[in-house]
Amino acid sequence: MSDGPSRPETTSAVRKTNSGAGRVLVAVYGIFALAATARASVQILTKFHQAPLAYLLSALAALIYIVATVTLARGTRASRRLALVAIIIELAGVITIGTLSVLDPEAFPRATVWSVYGIGYGFVPLVLPIWGLAWLWHTRAP
Amino acid sequence: MIDALAYAVILFAGAAVIWGLVTSIANKPPGKAQLLYVAGVEALTMIQSIIATAKIIGGFRPVELATTIGYLIGIVILIPIAWFWANGERSRFSGIVLAVAGLGVLAMTLRLLVLWTPAG
Repeated sequence: MSDGPSRPETTSAVRKTNSGAGRVLVAVYGIFALAATARASVQILTKFHQAPLAYLLSALAALIYIVATVTLARGTRASRRLALVAIIIELAGVITIGTLSVLDPEAFPRATVWSVYGIGYGFVPLVLPIWGLAWLWHTRAP
Repeated sequence: MIDALAYAVILFAGAAVIWGLVTSIANKPPGKAQLLYVAGVEALTMIQSIIATAKIIGGFRPVELATTIGYLIGIVILIPIAWFWANGERSRFSGIVLAVAGLGVLAMTLRLLVLWTPAG
């Protein structure tokens, strides 16, 4: 996250994802990377047998947040491609898990950051990928 | 956890959030006083985590021990990372980055107060 301020040689043709309002986006992604990683680690290390599927999804969410944070913070041409993939998976994940957790609450007892569209985190998990995609669109090559 | 200290952390972190938003609205990067203040909030947060860790070592057992320890560690790394990230590119958005970290510390302290329930 504490990458240097700019790398002009690799970002000449595209606007940087790690500049301006993008700094805030990276900060929010960073917090979710931290929160999801900590949560998944505790779940997998202490009670994995209780809900293996939910906890593996927690770990997947954590991984996606880490990838999105790092790639958006780097802001190079290659990293924004990876960021796009990660954020699309993230959006699909929060919508899928969110919907499943509403339809079948017993299978997802608030066990992941994406349960009920991220209600445990003020629905930020639902807003974040939309903001991320909007930012990638906003900073696309002219 | 000491309730009074937790409330102090919540109060000072909340003020850091507001200060961050104010400098952003004023279209300025955070000044020296603000950066020092945020470092002060971090110091308070660290004291809180150290005291809570000492209590756990001393025998206190919260219901969700692993989660509590995760929070006590996680909460102290938010502000340092945000502090350097905010200074990496100084603009009106630096204040919001500091505000996001302050909000994180505030929310995690509220959660810690709930987690700090003895087991059994």
